[in-house]
Amino acid sequence: MPKMIFIERDGTQREVEAPIGLSVLEVAHKHGVDIEGACEGSLACSTCHVIVDPEWIDQLVEPTEDEEDMLDLAFGLEKTSRLGCQIVITPQLDGLVVKLPASSRNAAQG
Amino acid sequence: MTLNRPIFLDNQSTTPCDPRVVAAMLPWFTDNFANPHSAEHAMGRAAEAAVEAGRAEIAALIGAEAREIVLTSGATESNNLAIKGAARHALRVNDPRRRVITVATEHKCVLESVRDLAAEGFEPVILPVGPDGLIDLDDLTEALVVPTLLVSVMAVNNETGVIQNLPAIAALVKEAGALLHCDAAQGVGKIAIDVGYGIDLLSLTAHKIYGPKGVGALYVRRRPRARIAALFSGGNQERGLRSGTLAPPLIIGFATAARLAAAEREDDAARIAGLREHLWAELQRGMPGIVLNGSAEARIAGNLNVMLPDGSASALIAACPDLCVSTGSACSSAEIEPSYVLRAMGLSVAQASRSLRIGIGRFTSPADIDNAARLLIAAHASSPARMQA
Repeated sequence: MPKMIFIERDGTQREVEAPIGLSVLEVAHKHGVDIEGACEGSLACSTCHVIVDPEWIDQLVEPTEDEEDMLDLAFGLEKTSRLGCQIVITPQLDGLVVKLPASSRNAAQG
Repeated sequence: MTLNRPIFLDNQSTTPCDPRVVAAMLPWFTDNFANPHSAEHAMGRAAEAAVEAGRAEIAALIGAEAREIVLTSGATESNNLAIKGAARHALRVNDPRRRVITVATEHKCVLESVRDLAAEGFEPVILPVGPDGLIDLDDLTEALVVPTLLVSVMAVNNETGVIQNLPAIAALVKEAGALLHCDAAQGVGKIAIDVGYGIDLLSLTAHKIYGPKGVGALYVRRRPRARIAALFSGGNQERGLRSGTLAPPLIIGFATAARLAAAEREDDAARIAGLREHLWAELQRGMPGIVLNGSAEARIAGNLNVMLPDGSASALIAACPDLCVSTGSACSSAEIEPSYVLRAMGLSVAQASRSLRIGIGRFTSPADIDNAARLLIAAHASSPARMQA
């Protein structure tokens, strides 16, 4: 099974199993990694914002306009920012590294 | 000769509202004055629908999508938002690039925005222009050797009407991976401009295309996405990029002006070019030695920027009270300094102070041109400076 690495807010790295077909958000929830995902992957918030390791960004499918719209609202956006719910694990993504942003913004609370 | 009203040949400072624009605007002051952000009631929703239909017409003029248009108060705001917004967003996402390139003949609001960024740690680079007013693409290529965040080049100069080669500039900027911003305030509606050239951010204003003053727009590319930081804090209207209540009458006026510009641009330009050629021939006949400043070919139809053989342009303007022309841009004409645009093109202070900007527009008549030529030639012939010379 592919594995992926989350870099948590305090800098610690967590390597976890990443079943093919699950999104990065689902992988995080499965292993208790602290990503919110308020809209549960329906592209209505940016609380599953992750920063993909630049080494990996070209391996991912390009974001859709809807994802870009939500990223417009994300806090702490970086050049390789993506929504965790939109990255689906494939065999090619074995070893994927993503970092959690400093904090997230829940539009429903804003 | 006494005229009923002054002849307005300063159409690059502003243009009169087209009567069709005014007619489209009026109901939105009185019949439906609602706030277009009031989604709870019918009047608000009707205002919103009209604003959105207008946004689509503004977008169509430059080959953009409605969603890519951020409505603003005019080109000065759009230019500030584009330049400072792009730079500040880059800082926020830890982009290491600091270079921001622009051109010596840009409008003050572009030059000052770029210069202001120096205080925030950016590196402004100001490209020169040739005597024709055009940038040398080799200079741009050389400046882009250092990783560059943003390049800002105007489509058409506000004093000389000179048209920069946007498709070629866009290709170079894209190759270098920088963002391209274009101040198209004087270009849109005068020449064909398509954001498909590879433009990421483009500023527009209504009052240069026979629309109302006080409204403009910034095009912000969606794919690939150009991201900018907002300047204003507030209610996050306009996708968070420009807080503030939208003004439906102004936006609907802008949209009507945009639609008319798209439909009539080519006919207007052909007619205006004919008037310009006639005026230029008359001035050359009546003022031997008069010189055209800047490229004759890469120039919009309505502009003449001419250097008088002698005397001073401001004295000539003062001697023609029935004629509205100018020595430079309205934005800097309060200053005594001669035009920095003409100085950048290599004119001396004395040559710049002999230079006159004439702007012909949609509502200029052949009689206006004949009268203007007569007034200017007569005033020049009898000017004290000339008699002393």
